[in-house]
Amino acid sequence: MPKTEETKQAACECGAYPLSRRNLFGAALALAAAPLLRYDPAQAASVDPSEVAPGIFVHQGRYEVQSPDNRGDIANASFVVGSDGVAVIDTSGSAKMGAELREAIRAVTDKPIKYVINTHMHPDHVLGNAAFSQDEPEFVGHYKLARALGTRKESYLAANEQMLGPEAFEGSEIILPTRLIKEPTTLDLGDRELLLEPQATAHTDNDLIVTDTKTDTLFLGDLLFSVHVPTIDGSIKGWLALLDEIGKRNAARVVPGHGPKTMELPQALVPEQRYLTAIADDVRRQIAEGKTLSEATKTAGFSEKDAWKLFGQYHVRNVTAAFAELEWD
Amino acid sequence: MCNGLKGLTRSFAVVVLAAGVAIASTPPLQAEENMWPTLKTEAFGDRPIQEEDGMVVLETPQKVEDAALVPLTVRVPPHVKGKLKSLSLFIDNNPDPKVATLTYGPAAGTGGERSFSTRVRVDNFSHARAVLELEDGSLHMATKFLAAAGGCAAMQAKDPEADVAGMGKTIVRTFTPALKSSPIWSGQVMVKHPNHNGMQLDINTAKFIPALYVKEMTVTRDGELVFKLDGTFSISTNPNFRFTFGKGEKNDLDVVIVDTDGTEFTGQTQASGS
Repeated sequence: MPKTEETKQAACECGAYPLSRRNLFGAALALAAAPLLRYDPAQAASVDPSEVAPGIFVHQGRYEVQSPDNRGDIANASFVVGSDGVAVIDTSGSAKMGAELREAIRAVTDKPIKYVINTHMHPDHVLGNAAFSQDEPEFVGHYKLARALGTRKESYLAANEQMLGPEAFEGSEIILPTRLIKEPTTLDLGDRELLLEPQATAHTDNDLIVTDTKTDTLFLGDLLFSVHVPTIDGSIKGWLALLDEIGKRNAARVVPGHGPKTMELPQALVPEQRYLTAIADDVRRQIAEGKTLSEATKTAGFSEKDAWKLFGQYHVRNVTAAFAELEWD
Repeated sequence: MCNGLKGLTRSFAVVVLAAGVAIASTPPLQAEENMWPTLKTEAFGDRPIQEEDGMVVLETPQKVEDAALVPLTVRVPPHVKGKLKSLSLFIDNNPDPKVATLTYGPAAGTGGERSFSTRVRVDNFSHARAVLELEDGSLHMATKFLAAAGGCAAMQAKDPEADVAGMGKTIVRTFTPALKSSPIWSGQVMVKHPNHNGMQLDINTAKFIPALYVKEMTVTRDGELVFKLDGTFSISTNPNFRFTFGKGEKNDLDVVIVDTDGTEFTGQTQASGS
């Protein structure tokens, strides 16, 4: 079989994040429209967290799919420094990126790293966990995170090794959570506490919202995408319902899973709500008209095409997921 | 390749044996290997098959976005006259390459474009094939290449609890054609069923979730057979079928589905023309 670029790209569409690069034009438009984007190629793949509130540090991932060049640096990764220790919230997409995040933490504080929290299962948020094993932290996640990672472990590792290449991938592994969160739970960092709230199925079936109560900072993980097109790997209905709830909250700032380091409620949610609603409305109408899944994937939600980066990567898959869910209503 | 195919094949073989499905004659999976000659002999012996002769058309997406949910449509153009005997779908490099076989009955209809659609899992780069058997026993095949990977093991249920909660719910619909006198009508069956392929590891038990899938589906119109389908776990979770049938008096569809556990699910359309 000829290994064309097309087939090579398609080879790794088994993880949450497919490989091919498409629609850079639409992406560029979204890029130009993104007010808070600060992508500096000179700092490629180096962790450069800023302190967005006292003791709260956020590193911004690139709006890209995993590649040898970005070494999995495609999602935001944060840490919170308390008087007794540090909590890491998402660890980026490779052991090497995780190690750089750890170095960045060590540049700020030598307090023990007590907790490594994953907001959900996706590899670009968890593969850096391996770099923190030496600290023997509690690995903390939604109570469904262990099952989700366990069943996907082999395919996630294989897909990411393929996308990152052997060098960037080296050392990456899936580390299952050692502490599962089923009810709202508080983690103590001494002079501050983190509130962990497991959510019903939305972006995935294992989304966890983390709140630093001291600074009123909400870490939403991939419940919030900005600039980077949202990806549905759970339930579009559940996600839209949860966004309505989040929109009623007050917070000094929110940290998205993909997007600028901080944003403000409720306007941070608006583009994502608009995107998911466009898909849901179009798909529901097409189902009512007796249209098929393949027909829906050609038109549903395309009004959003120019509003997002990586639309070409993920949109049709999102429509597929939405259709398969909504056709049962 | 995304998957460690060899590991996949080994674990898969165990599961398949446990499920009592014979694939002993299927050689080990190799993406580059041409499986078709073996499959063809198994399914059709040495009968000749006309390839791409326009008697059957297979439609697949240009780019596979979700390898666990790949829509396939088979069309039999209106110039093909007479009754259809059977339709077989294959995905060469899937763990069980046989996707489904439909054996048509008297209510399958003639006199227009006939079609069948479903959604499948695609585990690897593979050819997809539709082999149509006409009334005279002649075989006709359409083939498409699918660039997809990881459908069988990689893609898990997005919300396992939700999938199990409504299990067995069966929806049957008919779509009234624009011209009510049209001899060919279309219908849809969707059944809430995990169609477990036996290749998903349960982290809590460290065992593979046993295969459990829709094995048989019988569709009748006003009591007459449209088709009987024999399926495998190459059909996606929550199996979904669109098909045509011959116009009858009332055009009521009745569907009986049996899974590998022997559980029976039934569904009926409501008032005709709905």
